[in-house]
Amino acid sequence: MLSDKELIEQLHAKLNELKSSQKLIERQQDELKLVNEKLAESEALKSHFISNITNEIINPFASILGLSKNIIAAKDSDIIKIKSMAELIHSEAFELDFQLKNIFTAAKIEAGEACPDYVKTDINLLLASIISAYKYKAEQKQLKINFSFELDKKLTETIYFSTDPEKLKLILSNLLSNSIKYSNAANKIEVKGWIDNNKLNVAVKDRGIGIDKKNLEIIFDRFKRLDSSINSINPGHGLGLSVTKALLDLLEGKIDIVSKRNLGSVFTISIPQVEGANTEDYAMDGNEFIFGDSDNEIF
Amino acid sequence: MKFSKTNTEIKTHYLYPAALFADTEPHIVDTILGSCVAVCLYDPIKKIGGINHYMLPFWNGNGLASPKYGNIAIQKLIEKLHSFGCKTENIQAKVFGGGEVIVTEINLFKIGQRNIEIALKTLSELNIRITGKSVGGNHGRKIRFNTESGVVMMKLIQKST
Repeated sequence: MLSDKELIEQLHAKLNELKSSQKLIERQQDELKLVNEKLAESEALKSHFISNITNEIINPFASILGLSKNIIAAKDSDIIKIKSMAELIHSEAFELDFQLKNIFTAAKIEAGEACPDYVKTDINLLLASIISAYKYKAEQKQLKINFSFELDKKLTETIYFSTDPEKLKLILSNLLSNSIKYSNAANKIEVKGWIDNNKLNVAVKDRGIGIDKKNLEIIFDRFKRLDSSINSINPGHGLGLSVTKALLDLLEGKIDIVSKRNLGSVFTISIPQVEGANTEDYAMDGNEFIFGDSDNEIF
Repeated sequence: MKFSKTNTEIKTHYLYPAALFADTEPHIVDTILGSCVAVCLYDPIKKIGGINHYMLPFWNGNGLASPKYGNIAIQKLIEKLHSFGCKTENIQAKVFGGGEVIVTEINLFKIGQRNIEIALKTLSELNIRITGKSVGGNHGRKIRFNTESGVVMMKLIQKST
């Protein structure tokens, strides 16, 4: 039998317990509300994205179709005209290809199907090829891309680095594409690559509009664009940097941003070299799996 | 001592963090877990299994909605099994991981713990039976999941320090 006093004490204790768990529930509810709001916002952005993207795919196709029709109909003597039309087709198709790559990569990551495919990569060649692919786009804005690769060894030597070249390519394409997009015309973009501590670093520096400090946190969110007004001069869908971030996660890399409004930005990525990766299959992690001894548990 | 009971007929797959895997063909799926959690789902009627490997409990709108996050990863895995014709009432689950591998004095984040909680909560909400689990502690885990039989072999990873 409990005395009245004991009973009251126990009651008090229970009441206090209840109160604290109620507080916990309230706090969790608040958290949930916040998450819900963010999800709703993300959904809204998603539908905005779909209407946006339709434009961005259909418009380039319309111009590619129109221009190629003109080329077919043109006379042989119009070679200069034909060339300029071909250039336009190329730049439209180039942009389209890049946008689609981002979209499909994002879809793959969201489906959980993205996995790294490591091979020994000639890093100098890879960087140079991406830059030369963007040279034409840069020239349209009278931008100059300076590229340097710093290494202890002589530049003439081939530098092999084990990583996933396709993913690295898309990461760098996104950075370069952004730096061209947000640069002020007739300026310089610097791309610098170096390897230290078995890590590949690439810095892309532009002198453009820059990013406000408060916006640095949201630039990696999907579909988010800082300037999403209808008459924005910059095309894009806000997937690029979220894809970049997710790919870097996959390669266990990092990204650093230093930016000042109206002065420009420096995006620096750093990717560790994968040990033991080579042209043979994925075995590098698989080989570690040993279940031969007796201390495994079976579920 | 190397061990390769995985006979040549059955395919193998190494599951990376933030990815998920399910296939109608039998597979041996390997993965390594620290504070991450892997949920293995298995339908004994259709003999199909799937597994995810998520790193954080909640996707809250940051970055891509990938199976890096528990709430997304579990949902997507179930959807995938549904697409193969599995029924929720037949699906069984096994949950692994969520160890606090990096022990700090003030473990503010408790990532492992929160990863486990979301798995248990989501599965119980969906009435999916948990037929086996090894979660928490401060060990990492290696697991090998046979998607045809639903059997999971697990080994705790001893700390080297």
